[in-house]
Amino acid sequence: MTSSLVRQALILAALALLPGVGEAIYFRHKISWQSAIPPSELVTVAQAHAWGENVIWVDARPDEEFAHDHVPGALSLNEDRWNELLPQFLAVWSPGRKIVVYCSSLSCNASLEIAVRLRKEAQLPDVFVLEGGWEAWLKRK
Amino acid sequence: MSGPSTLNVQLSTRPQFPWRIVDVIVAGIFIYAGAIKTLDPVQFASDIDNYKIVPWPVSVVLAFYLPWLEIFCGFALVVRLLYRGALSISTALILTFTFATVAAKVRGLDITCGCFGHASQHWSFPAHLATNLGILAALLALWVSNRSAKPL
Repeated sequence: MTSSLVRQALILAALALLPGVGEAIYFRHKISWQSAIPPSELVTVAQAHAWGENVIWVDARPDEEFAHDHVPGALSLNEDRWNELLPQFLAVWSPGRKIVVYCSSLSCNASLEIAVRLRKEAQLPDVFVLEGGWEAWLKRK
Repeated sequence: MSGPSTLNVQLSTRPQFPWRIVDVIVAGIFIYAGAIKTLDPVQFASDIDNYKIVPWPVSVVLAFYLPWLEIFCGFALVVRLLYRGALSISTALILTFTFATVAAKVRGLDITCGCFGHASQHWSFPAHLATNLGILAALLALWVSNRSAKPL
């Protein structure tokens, strides 16, 4: 019975492999095998600093963390209050300015999600994610 | 008029009926969860990566593979072909997802589960855990019911 169970499981595992490989081929140009964020969309604190006044900092952390401390001049824009905060952000944004989104640390994904929404929903160009997030900013400071 | 053989068939199939409903519900959950993730494997790879358990390239491989495994297991449960294999894989998957969820919580990771694509984006940890444990309970019940019943 155990061998039958293992055999059945292996057959299912093998069957699932076929469409999985097909999908991987189909999406081969839409995903990077090296990093979750393509290198072209990632920026370090030093690089963002070098852009000077041309940067709009976006804090994707929850409101309470933003209220506690944030990058000077940063605007709060998080998932919880996206609809409410986006118009405030758009009022400040102007073409040509680079947007740098950050969240707590390397392990958070809020900055990536906000960056994706800014690109897809707000259709804004030059949106970057800060490597290491707020922790990296603090270390640099 | 019902003869003894008809009665036997009725008696042997009647207890199966509630379990077939559980089969279909669990299968539906797996098929839905798999299908919604096949639509956006890039997002699912990102969701897996957020757990910080496996390196990014492994997340990508899993993002392409796991949804199809869920779909095939779901269909196997519905049609009762390769049934025990599907039950064992589904149980292993749910146990792994539950372990990953708890591990992420223990390590203080602020993440979305990605279990049902965007539908589960704002799920709280308790909601996520309760869903996993509910599915696990259903799978264990199917294991128990299946011990005494031959697959159709």
